[in-house]
Amino acid sequence: MKQFIRKADIILFIVLVITGLAASAALTLSHDEAGSNAKVIIESGGDLYARYPLSEDRTVVVPAPKQISVDAPAADPDESASAQYDYYNVVIISGSKVSVTEASCKNQVCVKHGAISRPGESIVCLPNRLVVRIENGSEEGGGYDSVTS
Amino acid sequence: MTQSPHKAADRKSLSASFIARVGLMAALALIFSYVEAIIPYNPGVPGIKLGIANVVTVVALYKFGARDAAAVSVIRVVLAGLLFNGLFGMLYALAGAVVSLTGMILLKKTGLFSVTGVSMAAGVLHNLGQLLVASALIEDLRIFFYFPVLMFSGIAAGILVGIASTLVLRTLR
Repeated sequence: MKQFIRKADIILFIVLVITGLAASAALTLSHDEAGSNAKVIIESGGDLYARYPLSEDRTVVVPAPKQISVDAPAADPDESASAQYDYYNVVIISGSKVSVTEASCKNQVCVKHGAISRPGESIVCLPNRLVVRIENGSEEGGGYDSVTS
Repeated sequence: MTQSPHKAADRKSLSASFIARVGLMAALALIFSYVEAIIPYNPGVPGIKLGIANVVTVVALYKFGARDAAAVSVIRVVLAGLLFNGLFGMLYALAGAVVSLTGMILLKKTGLFSVTGVSMAAGVLHNLGQLLVASALIEDLRIFFYFPVLMFSGIAAGILVGIASTLVLRTLR
């Protein structure tokens, strides 16, 4: 054991760090591009509620499944979302970003989550069993099925 | 690196001293695995580990040679898998162990790198091997988003293990 570190070690270290940095840079860039025909998937109570292109701006009021199954009130476009449903989330797609701006739940985690714009990202509202996620249009069945350690 | 005097004699057969030595080292490595398994730390990303047990593997490689290191490593991974990490954890760890062992043996042969350097490369290769198995099992290449994280954690863990191994080897000599 001559010493802790030799010259070749430092070269190897630099090569590895650069590889890591290059890989993360490449991943970040490729990740950003993927939004061209990405879709916004809205799931409510575990079922698909709607699917919209990420590129089109729109506002969606998603009622919670409780409300759909019991006595869904007739949608009245003049009324605000809060008057129509007791349990709901307002999802806004704007400028290729998706955010939940209003929610009937107490914790408001989904609202505080902010906007998502990349495939694979998601916003979840547990009280209303809502999942909003972005998928790349070209690939079917996106998102991780499972991740283990 | 000087060759161990034991190495040439034990090459061909499973001698008693080889079995005793490997058994001892595997037991020690298993204790390290256990200690690591009970430390409650959660780095947030699966796969980030210090891998203290690899100190034993590195020491075995430098003190007794590739055969001892491979035996210790495989026995330790299989036992730790059965005892603490579960079957899939074992599969990942086995892939990582095979890849990193191969890399370590090759890098050691070049004679250019110190123990720390070899161990650093091993840390990265270990994570790479795990990632390859994970991507094959999950059949989703997007798991490679983990690659940079695992790369840096592998470098850090490998350097720490390397320094520890150097200190142990110094004392043993």
